[in-house]
Amino acid sequence: MLNRSFIQSLGILFTSTAWFISPTPGSADQPADEHVKLELVSEQDVLVPGKDLWLGFRFDLQDEWHTYWVNPGDSGEAPGIEWQLPAGFQAGAIQWPYPERLSTPPFADYGYEHQVLLMASVRPPAQLREGETQKIAARVRYLICRDICIPGQTQLELSLRVKSGAAASPAGELFRAARARLPRPAPPNWKISAASIRDEIVLDVKTIKSAKAPQFFPLHAEQIENAAPQAVTAFPGGIRLHLKKSKHLLKSIPRLEGVFVFASGKAYLVDVPVFQSRRSGHTQ
Amino acid sequence: MKRNLWCGLVITLLLISSAYGVKVGESAPEFQTTDSNGRVHTLSEYRGKFVVLEWHNNGCPYTKKHYESRNMQRLQKEWTSKGVAWFTVISSAPGQQGYVTAQQENEYLKQMNASPTAALLDKEGDVGRLYSAKTTPHMFVVNPAGVLIYDGAIDSKATTDQADIPTAKNYVSQALEEAIAGKPVSTPTSRPYGCSVKYAH
Repeated sequence: MLNRSFIQSLGILFTSTAWFISPTPGSADQPADEHVKLELVSEQDVLVPGKDLWLGFRFDLQDEWHTYWVNPGDSGEAPGIEWQLPAGFQAGAIQWPYPERLSTPPFADYGYEHQVLLMASVRPPAQLREGETQKIAARVRYLICRDICIPGQTQLELSLRVKSGAAASPAGELFRAARARLPRPAPPNWKISAASIRDEIVLDVKTIKSAKAPQFFPLHAEQIENAAPQAVTAFPGGIRLHLKKSKHLLKSIPRLEGVFVFASGKAYLVDVPVFQSRRSGHTQ
Repeated sequence: MKRNLWCGLVITLLLISSAYGVKVGESAPEFQTTDSNGRVHTLSEYRGKFVVLEWHNNGCPYTKKHYESRNMQRLQKEWTSKGVAWFTVISSAPGQQGYVTAQQENEYLKQMNASPTAALLDKEGDVGRLYSAKTTPHMFVVNPAGVLIYDGAIDSKATTDQADIPTAKNYVSQALEEAIAGKPVSTPTSRPYGCSVKYAH
């Protein structure tokens, strides 16, 4: 990987310059890629004209370091991806595996440690010539943190040959593992609802009898207090998760969106209107 | 006995919830802290003035974005010249990123050509926790009556990229401009963005 070592030597160049001009004692002017390996991988070894192909940005983080979910929580920043696609190609949205709660009392962040694959589908145009090679590239900006934070950006690329039939790539297993962490729609027999009651938003899930340590991860920032404990209570035919409203929430929120994760690792999408309880004495 | 336990629990919960008590529209909590020149400041002595609190960590890439671009210094100069009291607050614990001695902070201010009213040294994290300061930077604006009118990010572009500053909406300037003009603050809260504040563990 010539490209990578080139970027690394650039990084070293910048670091040594930064060392001379750095006005801040004790700052971490080391390149982020000393602590994370980033790769663009494909689920298939070839491009099939007109057929969706799954690509993934693989973060391989050193121990103790983390990067962030789409809602990073109390601090940090989600990775940003700028595609550079050949004409006629279209990329879908990033599919975010459910995160871990990264606790830094009195606050909490949402992110990933060790490895994560951020998948997105790319659709090539229908009229590609068999045998030709197409280059897919992307610029990734990201933040990694331990006790300190380092921003990084990397240019990644991948060349794929056009063929009429698909062939699995060695990266296939990464995609299978990542899909297991993607939140899925809740089963149709579940009834999920949310209500605003005083300083809480309560999330009710009916027809499940019990759940071990379920957790809710809000898709949007500043709706709930990220570090507040999420108490679970049972009611006939279901469970209720108690979420403490964010102090930044000055208006009522119309919908609650996020991911509901069970201790088993099963994760479900939540997107429900928030019922404004009359019992709520004040809007906050 | 059990009853006492419950009372204790309720009191603890009340204390915890009051820790979340800094809210826009309510009185900003009083503090008393020493600055990098050894002077003690309280919030109440600035009653009658607008006050800006800027949480700071000189090694954090988000703080560096706003200092190396001179954006923060420009804001400090602009608003202090209009009579606003601007406090840079450092809540990093000793041994943590951003912790500085008084002398190091004075050197930094000089080197960066920064001109806050004062740099408050909060190594115990008391002021930070009182305000629930989450990130560096995390900005607060208090009006002359002592009421918190802004709590959140410095601007609308949550990145480490200096190139984003000119096109970002600066929420601190917006809050001050609107409040000085007697208007309600249109964005009174936002998600503060940056590194987590490096409190003592």
